[in-house]
Amino acid sequence: MESALPLASQAPLHSEARMDAVFTALADPTRRAILRQLARGDASVAQLSAPFTISQPAITKHLRMLERAGLITRSVHRQSRPARLAAQPMAEAAQWLLEFSQFWQGSLDELDKMLGTMQQTENKDET
Amino acid sequence: MMDELPVYVLERSFAAPQALVWQAWTDPALFARWYGPGADTKVAEHDLRPGGRALLEMRWGDKAQYQRLEYQTLTPPDHLAFVLVTTDAGWNMAPISHQPDWPQQLLTDVTFAAEGSITHMRLTWTPHQASAAEIAMFRGALAGLGRGWGAGMQMLDAMLAELQG
Repeated sequence: MESALPLASQAPLHSEARMDAVFTALADPTRRAILRQLARGDASVAQLSAPFTISQPAITKHLRMLERAGLITRSVHRQSRPARLAAQPMAEAAQWLLEFSQFWQGSLDELDKMLGTMQQTENKDET
Repeated sequence: MMDELPVYVLERSFAAPQALVWQAWTDPALFARWYGPGADTKVAEHDLRPGGRALLEMRWGDKAQYQRLEYQTLTPPDHLAFVLVTTDAGWNMAPISHQPDWPQQLLTDVTFAAEGSITHMRLTWTPHQASAAEIAMFRGALAGLGRGWGAGMQMLDAMLAELQG
């Protein structure tokens, strides 16, 4: 199976520092709530702070962490600096499990073939 | 907030009797034939009992990968559980290169259910004795797997739902 590459041959997919930043950013419920809101559309700090009981400066701090992790981008052209979701870093996190899963799927394809061959041989032995 | 460990589930059915599928998983010569797609797999040590271990080397040309299986449950012909450990060439636990937060130990639980001449397999992976970073990586990766990352926003939404679940 071509897609199931040997795990050891994989090139680095991302910087480790970036992944650390992603997981740190995702570890906080307020930041996850911010991401959920951004999934519905771009929003300013004022709009983002509305559902929370925390201050706009606190929201700004959360946004800075999300920005550092590459999970959001912030417009520099508008005064309100609306935040926008960026999905790429999480795609990188999933890539590795995908490869690991492909390793297993590929193995089980071979198991399936082997079981078929073993039973054919058994049947021949019986007849 | 994140008490439940993330679990990956893989299900598959084989047109073969349960006893044969069990044998394919537990006989080292048979296991080496299918485990590791396209790899030349060698079983360096194989001690099939709870607490026993199997040492695996998978080779693709000049690339190699090493794993250790630590058997926990062996109930023929329907339940097999082992900890899958990523190792260096000496079979000492080691992180995978470039993926330091990939769980170094995954509890791999495999059950086989017979239905006539068909065997239904259910395999799960759960991070075992994992760090918070390993659990977070597995959880994040799991949420995105199979959802199509190109879908962008929808994917992220689903992942966030799982993170909060």
